[in-house]
Amino acid sequence: MEASTGLLRVSGLAKRYGAADAAAVFENVSFDVAAGEVVAILGESGVGKSTLLNCLAGLDTPSAGHVTLAGRALEGLDEKALAHWRRAQVGFVFQAFHVLPHLTVAQNVALPLMLLGRPAVATAQRVEGLLNAVGLEGLGERLPRTLSGGQLQRVAIARALVHRPPLVLADEPTGNLDPTTAERVIELLAKQVRAEGAACVLVTHSSAAAARADRVLRLHQHGIGPA
Amino acid sequence: MNTALLLRQLTWPEWRAHPLRQTLAMLAVALGVALAFSVHLINQSALAEFSAAVRAANGEPDATLACAARGGCDDAFFDVLASIPSVRLASAVVEVESYALAADGQRVALKLVGVDALQVAAVAPALLATPAAGRDRLAALDPDSVFLNASAQQRLGLQPGDTLRVQQGVQTIGLTVAGRVAAGGAPLAVIDIAGAQRHFGYIGRLTRIDLRLAPGSSAAALAVALPAGWRLAAADDAVQRVANVSRAYRVNLTVLALVALFVGAFLVYSVLALSVAQRTPGLALLGVLGLAAGERQRLVLAECALLGVAGSVLGVAAGTVLAQAALRWMAGDLGGGYFPGVAPTLAFSWPGAAAFAALGTAAALVGGWLPARQAARLVPAQALKGMGGTVRHGGGAWAGPALLIAGCALAFAPPITGLPIAAYVSVAVLLVGGIACVPTLLDALLSRVRTPRSPLALLALQRARHEREGATVAVAGVVASLALAVALTIMVASFRDGVSRWLDQVLPADLYVRTAASSAASDQAFLPEAFEARVARLPGVARVEASRTRPLVFDTARPSVSLVARPIGDAARDLPLLEPPLAPQGEAPGVYISEAVAALYAVQPGSAMTLPLEPTPLRVQVLGVWRDYARQFGAIAIDRATYQRLTGDYRNNDLAIWLEPGASLDAVQTALRAAAGEPTLLDFAATGTLRTMSLAIFDRSFAVTYYLQAVAIAIGLAGIAASFSAQVLARRREFGLLAHLGLTRSQIVGVVAGEGAAWTAVGALAGLALGIGVATVLVHVVNPQSFHWTMEMLLPWGRLAALAAAVLVAGSATAAFSARAAASQDAVAAVKEDW
Repeated sequence: MEASTGLLRVSGLAKRYGAADAAAVFENVSFDVAAGEVVAILGESGVGKSTLLNCLAGLDTPSAGHVTLAGRALEGLDEKALAHWRRAQVGFVFQAFHVLPHLTVAQNVALPLMLLGRPAVATAQRVEGLLNAVGLEGLGERLPRTLSGGQLQRVAIARALVHRPPLVLADEPTGNLDPTTAERVIELLAKQVRAEGAACVLVTHSSAAAARADRVLRLHQHGIGPA
Repeated sequence: MNTALLLRQLTWPEWRAHPLRQTLAMLAVALGVALAFSVHLINQSALAEFSAAVRAANGEPDATLACAARGGCDDAFFDVLASIPSVRLASAVVEVESYALAADGQRVALKLVGVDALQVAAVAPALLATPAAGRDRLAALDPDSVFLNASAQQRLGLQPGDTLRVQQGVQTIGLTVAGRVAAGGAPLAVIDIAGAQRHFGYIGRLTRIDLRLAPGSSAAALAVALPAGWRLAAADDAVQRVANVSRAYRVNLTVLALVALFVGAFLVYSVLALSVAQRTPGLALLGVLGLAAGERQRLVLAECALLGVAGSVLGVAAGTVLAQAALRWMAGDLGGGYFPGVAPTLAFSWPGAAAFAALGTAAALVGGWLPARQAARLVPAQALKGMGGTVRHGGGAWAGPALLIAGCALAFAPPITGLPIAAYVSVAVLLVGGIACVPTLLDALLSRVRTPRSPLALLALQRARHEREGATVAVAGVVASLALAVALTIMVASFRDGVSRWLDQVLPADLYVRTAASSAASDQAFLPEAFEARVARLPGVARVEASRTRPLVFDTARPSVSLVARPIGDAARDLPLLEPPLAPQGEAPGVYISEAVAALYAVQPGSAMTLPLEPTPLRVQVLGVWRDYARQFGAIAIDRATYQRLTGDYRNNDLAIWLEPGASLDAVQTALRAAAGEPTLLDFAATGTLRTMSLAIFDRSFAVTYYLQAVAIAIGLAGIAASFSAQVLARRREFGLLAHLGLTRSQIVGVVAGEGAAWTAVGALAGLALGIGVATVLVHVVNPQSFHWTMEMLLPWGRLAALAAAVLVAGSATAAFSARAAASQDAVAAVKEDW
């Protein structure tokens, strides 16, 4: 990939398990994602999409290469620093929603802001605004078990964006949803990411979901390139 | 479906995956069974040994005639017996309790049995004298020769030919050790009956006659013609008496030991409840595939039974080893003092082992009942979707309060066959009821907490609020163990405080002199009347108060009651009365009874009773009830002057001595020893020493309760550890999410520790409240019903708070420790199935 002025910059990334000469899960992975851009990554099962996302999130250490977000490299950060970095800089959307069952919808969405120590009033306003934006107005005090799968994923999207992270990582966010709901959710995610000006990396098997992205890349063992 | 197959296919892999949890539950059962079974074995062994010793000393006559009078009965009746055709053989006995001086100068309690050497072999062969080598074969007929049993030989350190010095007043009588007798048990000496009568003031009197009856004759026929003072006694009176009086103590010890098993049942509950919760998808899948509700329930119960059986077998083995060690090091006494001189060997009993193993298995099954019901109640389709997978046990919100009310009601029930059975059930019901109230309590308490701003506190609080049933599972063991620990702490503190204040009142003098530790020997070990006057004249002595203590037998099935004749001027000042005394009515002398007499003989202030004194029983009126922690079987206080006037008995057993200001305690003691002639026959003790010694004995006796508390709390904390470990494992994805959101490991551990703190805090509060309730039952119901004495309840708030705080800290730390494992796992792996 040719370097550009992306918010997220990935260059020469490789991951091996074991010895340095062991076969790479992937190598020579370089790409940029600009602010407000949604990049979908496709790939065979087992090609390392999960591992790539882990490396982007600072949850896994690459064997080679660099990850830079808004000019700040992840290399050299210890576990605690990475946790703090992730707290402020990254939003996650998972296939299985992962909302905390004992917190209300609003509390789930507000969690990243609370972790960042934002003022209560501002947090409440931001959460309310975002819940309205994802179509969950009036459901803030409900518990997750009373929501449908589509609604739960909207909660997850709202939580991923509530603290305005520069990077949103989404893994098969429509994997557990029916096609109609999936289309709405991916459209919502893309719309919100663009509205918030975040860089979004979306891993998916769904060509319909990938079609909503600004760019689609395909990951393989020896690199990444346009699908 | 075959339960054994399911156990092998489903349970065994689960146990192998979580061996620590299952091992903890099994060990909890094992510990409870071990403690209870060892106490049972020790008591049974001691009782069996005591019984054997008594049988050896008493022999096995067809009938025994016992004299009720302490001074013995006229032996003229013995000659009458000889002429009764149904009596084939009569063996006269004089029994005397006194002290003998050991070779090292120490006093040793000794029973002397005067027998007719020519008759005793036919009735009590163990009392047949065996002359030592080189001694006269007719030494058994020598009134100055004695024959010692093994215990007496060992304690006194005397050999044949040595002189045995037996206390008579403040003098000693010298008798020659001529050989041995086979009787076991406490120190005992056999002497010719004529010697016993001559040396100990029983000329023309007997205390017992053992009979062999002609074939076809009945002992009951003899009872009709018995002269005054004689009664037909059962051969095993002494054994029965010891069994009766030690029963409450033995039952209390066993119940205390069962505390560990009781808490263990809660641990089994915690482990099984969480195991079922974790396996809900698997159980649901089996349900969909056709495993019926009843079969799922049987599977979980079979797991409980396996845990219970394994724990019980281990417990029985450990209990046997414990009992063996205790018998070796503690001589089977266990601090109760009911089996003097008994050095029992272990009497293992298979029925007992089976019973305690069954109890352990039953405890495990009871602990696993609710989880088994939960497994049965699963709605497979919903559970497979992840809906309804949480543990929610049966019983509405009314169950807890209803059980608490039932527990309170049971506390008011009277004793059953002299034991506080209903009170024990009340304690158990209160504990279960209190634990059932935990979710409601948690709801009530946490609903008052404002939603915190801190995200970590919010996470901990919200989860604690929404997982109320989980809280019950997690803290059940803590509530039970803390409640029992609090109850024992309050009971022991109340008792100690009561004893301490009682000592202050019953030990008003500066120095005490005593001749006999027990009233049984008080007729031989006494102070002559003149001795009191001699002491009063010693320099430094301001005042002397003498008292006479002697036993009274009201009921042969019970131990004797102590009659204490002492100066009583103002009863309210001189005795620790429970209520102000009644004014005397009429001419009958007034007495003051201890609580034990009031309870055992159903006598109250205002009622009359007859003291079995010789030669004439004395009709007295009861003027008050006093607290006496020294004599569990009862004591009656009477004014000494009145007693002396009515009985002509001027002997004394104790002196209370007040010193002049500035007088030296040591100097007075030295003068006392000089005045006594044989100072080794007297015990001297300063008030401070007596007080310190009494409280030290008290503390030693109750030390076992502290160990039990520690064991119970350890089991309760193991419950917390088991449940939090399981929950933490089940929440790996949640922790994974929190790691993705930027929480550090220490923050995740903090969240779990916070939850642990919230739950343990509620558990500690519930345990504290329940403990106070249980203590009320122990202090005001179990104690009076078991031991017939009362005390005022003292709440040692400092220690209770420390106990609760320690449990709170330990519970939170345990939860945090359990969380470390999950938090240290790869956050990515936690949500692996998604990526």
